[in-house]
Amino acid sequence: MNKDRTLVQIALYAAVIAALGLLPKFNIPVAGGVPLTAQTLGLMLAGIMLGPVRGFLSVALFILVVALGAPLLAGGRGGLGVFAGPTVGFIVGFPFAALVTGLMMQQLKNVNLFAAALISSIVGGIIVLYAFGIPGMVAMTSLDFSGAAKAILVFIPGDIIKALIAALIAQSVLRAMPGIIPSR
Amino acid sequence: MPDKCGYTFGPLFSLVANTAVSWFSGKQKTPVLTHQAPLYPSLADSICIEQVDLQRADNHLFQQLSLRWNETRVGLIGNNGSGKSSLVRLLNGLIAPEQGRVSVFGYDTVKQAALMPALVGFIFQNPDHQMIFPTVAEELAFGCEQLGQSAQKARASALALLAEQGIESWADRPVTQLSEGQKQRVCILSVLIMKPRLLILDEPFSSLDLPTRHLLLALIHNTDTHVLLISHDFSVYGDFDRLIWVDEGQIKADGLPDEVIRSYLASVDNLSVSL
Amino acid sequence: MITLYLARSSWLHHLPAGFKLCLLAASSMLILPVTQLELMLASMLATALLYVTLGGRGWQHLNMVKPLLPFLAVIMAFHFWAGSAYEGGVSVLRLVTMFLLANLITLTTRMTDMMAALQPVFWPLQWVGISPRALALAVALMVRFAPVLVLVMYNLDEAWKARGGKKQKWRLIVPLIIQAIRLSDHVAEALTARGGSSKISVRPIEVRR
Repeated sequence: MNKDRTLVQIALYAAVIAALGLLPKFNIPVAGGVPLTAQTLGLMLAGIMLGPVRGFLSVALFILVVALGAPLLAGGRGGLGVFAGPTVGFIVGFPFAALVTGLMMQQLKNVNLFAAALISSIVGGIIVLYAFGIPGMVAMTSLDFSGAAKAILVFIPGDIIKALIAALIAQSVLRAMPGIIPSR
Repeated sequence: MPDKCGYTFGPLFSLVANTAVSWFSGKQKTPVLTHQAPLYPSLADSICIEQVDLQRADNHLFQQLSLRWNETRVGLIGNNGSGKSSLVRLLNGLIAPEQGRVSVFGYDTVKQAALMPALVGFIFQNPDHQMIFPTVAEELAFGCEQLGQSAQKARASALALLAEQGIESWADRPVTQLSEGQKQRVCILSVLIMKPRLLILDEPFSSLDLPTRHLLLALIHNTDTHVLLISHDFSVYGDFDRLIWVDEGQIKADGLPDEVIRSYLASVDNLSVSL
Repeated sequence: MITLYLARSSWLHHLPAGFKLCLLAASSMLILPVTQLELMLASMLATALLYVTLGGRGWQHLNMVKPLLPFLAVIMAFHFWAGSAYEGGVSVLRLVTMFLLANLITLTTRMTDMMAALQPVFWPLQWVGISPRALALAVALMVRFAPVLVLVMYNLDEAWKARGGKKQKWRLIVPLIIQAIRLSDHVAEALTARGGSSKISVRPIEVRR
């Protein structure tokens, strides 16, 4: 039973991330008109809700299905093309963002949930994600490192808002279903 | 010029891996299939619950519950929360008893749990919860693959069953596009294709209209499988052999469907008078 | 079905998936060293021509580049400031070409064929306990339940609107996650009842019927 449960949880959470990306209504407009979607929110929540290993696997599964041709990335993108795009670093970094978010949650076991989720989301979903995303951009676009970093700086405020939202969501879900978050 | 190896690495790797692994793949081990004999040969003709204790969320659901039958068509009724769902989950090992033992045709549901999926088929209330594949043919083929058929053979078996049912055209239809009745039909077929000896249906008709109920009932009756059906619609028990009424974890009545339904309805009437 | 696959028959559809992936790898290796704008432009046009050979309205799928455009504009702008517009042009064209080539494979290869072609790549995962069968099952489950959860999301949104909810739509994610957790409990139970993620290796002895 346990093995099947884990498998289904991983698959269904990957489906949640897909659902978040398919809804354009969640776009958060920020400076520069770059639309931000709820999808990176999904990675943060994967790490928080499933823990590091299952969170990683769940997001990796999502990326695999996107690579196989499902247009599930925000904005209806998908297929092998996304691995030839400038954002390939972010996409590769997605599972690691969830992994680190989950690991941080374990480390912050004794901190209150909101603060732990917020810090974990910022470290995993922003710092780790950008650590993958920026080199990816450098590799794909012949921009230099600082150029690439500047080009994606506009996303940071939106991402911090998302980390906040992730923490609020985690808090509400735990209140509705006590014991559902692995590190609590 | 910056290095762009990151991108080419993926497909390149698949090329190398393809050649390397196709060489190895012949050596992939497949699990050895074993056949087990029933643990209790004397009970091989019946389904048996012996002195079972079960606790759910801090209260005793069953205490020393015993029940045995070998009729082909058996119904199970009772109010919500009476223990019906837990009782049927004991029969395929989804729930293990705390005390006592449960056996199906002599096979212990706990000690021989690994063979339960091949012995007992289970239909759930909501078909959306049990269809695990995107298309109808895949859903049906899964059971055959579980029983050791190759992917191609499993698909062929699935298509054959669909043809037999006169619904070949459903094969590649996404399950999300089926009506509720069609979904439940697919669920029943995907379990029947595994040829279980006992088929348990946990309120399978609750969201279906009357014609669909009759179609599915006929589908179930056309098999030689033992059936255990939970339903709130008593009209489906017309030609059943036996009906069991469970109330608060106890067997309240057990016998011919007509009699059991009569006493159940009488108790409901009494209850509404006292309200 | 949620996939970019183009249900049609073209010469590219008939090529085996593994072969197409190798072709893709080879052609991107050819494209990477190109530094001349003219040559890059030519290869992009050649790629675009491949879309036309798909027949029908195959060329319309060139518009899949659209979501990339803002990024490309940013890259171009940075190169312009840095005074390297030529290199910028080359790198933008290279990105578009590689993107189009990769998507061409996605358009003409069935998801299951792609999965089968990639099977050997996943084979080493067995060493960490992920069998190819469990992986295939996970992919199927995700493709099956993504539309279900999208529907759940829309229904929640409708209910939210009906009750006058406007801002703070992210709040809908809470019930979405809760429903997904409940759903996964049911689905896991159903999966276990049918033998779970590994094949049924123990069978009852055959009986006379």
